[in-house]
Amino acid sequence: MKTTDTTISRRTLLKTAAGAGAAVMMAPAIARAEISGPIRIGGLMSLTGAGGTWGPIMAKVQQTVVDQVNAAGGIMGQKVEYFVEDDQTNPDAGVLAVRKLIDVDKVCAVTGVWSSAVAMPTLPICWQNKVAMLAIAASDTLATMPHHGYFIRTYVPVSLQGKAIGEFGLKRGAKNFYAMLAQNPFSQSMLKGLKDDVEPKGAKVGSVIYDGTKTSFRSEVDQALRTKPDFIMLGGYPQDSASIVKDLYRAGFEGIICGFGTAITQEFINAAGAKAAEGIYTVFPSVAETSAAYKNLQKITGVKGVLDTNRCQSYDQINLVLLAVAASGQATGEAIQKTIRSTIGGPDGEPVGDVMTGLKLLSEGKKINYEGASSNCEFLPNGNLPNAYFKTMQIKNGVLVVV
Amino acid sequence: MLTYILTILTFGGIYALLALGLNLMWGMAGMANLGILGYYAIGGYASALVTIHFGLPVVVGMLIGTVVAGALGAATCVGIVKLRDDYLAIATLGFAQVLALIAQNEIWLTNGTDGIGQIPRLAGSLHGEAFNIVYLAVCVVILAVTFLGMEVLRRSPFGRVLRAIREDQMVAATAGKHVFSFQMKALAVGGAVMGLAGAVYAHYIGFISPEIFQPQLLIYVFLALILGGKGNNWGAVAGAFFVVFIVEGTRFVGGLIPGLSAVQIGAIRQLIIGVGFIVVVQNWPRGVFPEPLKKYRQPDDLLPENSGAKE
Amino acid sequence: MEILTQIPQLVVNGLMSGAILAVPAIAFSLIFAVLQISNFSVASHVAIGAYAAFVANTVFGLPAAVAVIAAFAVSGAIGVVSDHIALRPLRGQGPLTVAITSLALNMVLENIVRFSFGNDVRGLDIPIYRDWIFGTVHIAPQQFFNFLIAAVVTAALFCLLAFTSIGRAMRAVADNPKLADIKGINPEQIARLAIFIGMGLAGVGGVLVALQSGIEPTIGFRVILSVFAAAVLGGLGNIPGAVAGALVIGVAEELSLLALPDAYRSAVGFVAIIVALLFFPRGILGKR
Repeated sequence: MKTTDTTISRRTLLKTAAGAGAAVMMAPAIARAEISGPIRIGGLMSLTGAGGTWGPIMAKVQQTVVDQVNAAGGIMGQKVEYFVEDDQTNPDAGVLAVRKLIDVDKVCAVTGVWSSAVAMPTLPICWQNKVAMLAIAASDTLATMPHHGYFIRTYVPVSLQGKAIGEFGLKRGAKNFYAMLAQNPFSQSMLKGLKDDVEPKGAKVGSVIYDGTKTSFRSEVDQALRTKPDFIMLGGYPQDSASIVKDLYRAGFEGIICGFGTAITQEFINAAGAKAAEGIYTVFPSVAETSAAYKNLQKITGVKGVLDTNRCQSYDQINLVLLAVAASGQATGEAIQKTIRSTIGGPDGEPVGDVMTGLKLLSEGKKINYEGASSNCEFLPNGNLPNAYFKTMQIKNGVLVVV
Repeated sequence: MLTYILTILTFGGIYALLALGLNLMWGMAGMANLGILGYYAIGGYASALVTIHFGLPVVVGMLIGTVVAGALGAATCVGIVKLRDDYLAIATLGFAQVLALIAQNEIWLTNGTDGIGQIPRLAGSLHGEAFNIVYLAVCVVILAVTFLGMEVLRRSPFGRVLRAIREDQMVAATAGKHVFSFQMKALAVGGAVMGLAGAVYAHYIGFISPEIFQPQLLIYVFLALILGGKGNNWGAVAGAFFVVFIVEGTRFVGGLIPGLSAVQIGAIRQLIIGVGFIVVVQNWPRGVFPEPLKKYRQPDDLLPENSGAKE
Repeated sequence: MEILTQIPQLVVNGLMSGAILAVPAIAFSLIFAVLQISNFSVASHVAIGAYAAFVANTVFGLPAAVAVIAAFAVSGAIGVVSDHIALRPLRGQGPLTVAITSLALNMVLENIVRFSFGNDVRGLDIPIYRDWIFGTVHIAPQQFFNFLIAAVVTAALFCLLAFTSIGRAMRAVADNPKLADIKGINPEQIARLAIFIGMGLAGVGGVLVALQSGIEPTIGFRVILSVFAAAVLGGLGNIPGAVAGALVIGVAEELSLLALPDAYRSAVGFVAIIVALLFFPRGILGKR
């Protein structure tokens, strides 16, 4: 399934193409440059606080990739140094952490920024210091802030995800949708994406936005069931979504339940139990799971089943940065953000899905095109992905399987 | 490196303002207000909103933020001041929680959980080091003026009445003091100082969101004041800077222990801060710079060990 | 009219969620009664209990009832040890210093849990059943089971306080520690026992919360503000009051859905206590 953000005009796409062309022409000159000293990359991760479920997992993925590269001799003879700082899912700690990464560790790129509340105040610091930021943060505002290209996000805009879930529901014959969303920076965009897609086609959409820090959502479930929905969309985090589906199960709900990639994860299944989670769908931004990147990520994480979107994105981010450094021959934020847009993420070149193959091809003087685990990694000047591919998965016997 | 240190010092200044405000409410007037982040947030939000929507200069925004927070401080008094100790602490904690929910949900006003970005910055044309130097200077001036104001208050008859109320409301009332109005003034002025801190913060990082109500910050501010010396303005300021140094210093500790996962390093940092607090309180219960009390030596039966027990 | 038909269901939901709040609220109030301090580290003991049950149930495969006992024992024991190390030396420093230090203790314990188990969401391995339906009202067997545990625990504690010598000693210390001391009751021992029972109950509360949602290190923080509100509403130190307060807050939070957006549900508890305290500055069932 492919969904395109219709708000992107032809002109912006043309501009990307022109920019990409110009950068490609500059590329040979850049490639001759030398890197002196180790390549320093920062992970600005939410290790504690609301994002604490994800930060540690993401940091581990990135560390594994860096270790692999270093074990194979680094990039252009230089070691990669990877620094992780905890932003505590909080703007103050985020500002101090990014300052430490930039001023003390002298990183050229900051990856893994998960929370919008951390990305908002740290993005100006990054671009002013010519440090590239690779983020997951979902807030729509980020892409409209001035950032001179230093902002790149691997996250598929939530409105596209809402739309994809809507299309999935319509295809299954759903007429009466109900969205249950935790109050967070992307709940409104999720809902809008769903409504814009299904309402013109004659379906009804009801919704409730709840306080995700509560532990019981029984009355919210009652409220949803009173509208007699045949399709329930979940857009919270694993723990509250688990609580909701337990109550949906108990109440005997028999329609379709479909959640966002942030809600329906292995943790969700653990918390909800296999019985309550059985049959639940998720529509999940990802390229085909047959992609090289996805398979390689399964190999390095040892996860046999489905990988969650945060793992995939953090994997793509570190690969993009490392390959951009190798392709441009420069460990600077400017070279990284330009090279990611112009060559590494571009449509031309040999497709690769992991950093080791990419480095090998680059050293042979070939052009590469990184096809990621979360997306094809072609970014607009504003940092967003123009389109996204989705896959639909379903929980069967306690594991997510592709439908 | 320099900019990082400047950033730490600026945060130190902001926390010092919060600690000074708390010192007036709790240290001097004896009201343990756990809702202090409410004033901090409303000062920041008010200043951000008026500078964005009405194009007012940043300095005017900061003044408005200060006044609005002061008004909120006075308003808190109406509901809660009759409460004592633990009841007061929990009611004020809940009061801040309600404000946090408003900040999250009233999207038309606060932009919800997305927060308000691109808040005009003071000296916004400057970048990097230059901006941080100028802003730190502004922060130091604000802190110095506030400190002097607080010190004048502490030494004034007003400060003496507050301490009398802290020690025994009944006695103060019997001496003809209108306890409620003194408490209200203390909450208003303390709230205003915290609102100013919020405004200084918002125009520094250029962003404000409901994350401003983070429980850690509440702990840090109380920690700063207890550590420095409750009742002493010097203690409040010194404690705040010390706390910021410790919090940032622990960033460098996790990396020293090999074999830890990222989440364990994150946990260890907060563990160290918590343990540090407990150790300090146990060893210096009145703080490193205790309140100077030479004129008012307490009679023995008012020593703290008895003041906690209900009659 | 349609709104009216929802009320019975909302009241039932409120009583069920209130019952879960009641257990840690009793813990908070019991410790306050005996020691005259607000121990905010109840929150992390809720998490400790949930993790203890998780280890017993999911790792060792023990049944839910054993997991509840494990939660009680482990969080009670940790409560006694942490109080002895961190808070006891501060008994002379005034109740608020101790209360705020207990916030720091809470941060330490929560991060010990995080250090040991990480932040991943986990769940207990227990069967799930469809709702029982009575006319327009439906109840989940799980909720009813939680309600029963809460009721049994409350009744057991009440009997302990009312009919045993230990209970009488505890009440004596709560009323007047000096007098109790003179009468030969060791207030230190009684305090330790109160903390063990209190924090143990907080741990049981953690299991009840875990049965409803998932387990992660901030699980205690999610419920704790409502727990404090319940304890305050009932009058600090008053155990039947804590139960009443928890039920009132549980029901009020649910009924508020008729008038308020869902996202404001957690504000209800606090608006309730602020309003109630305006009229009863020491809680509805507080002394004087």
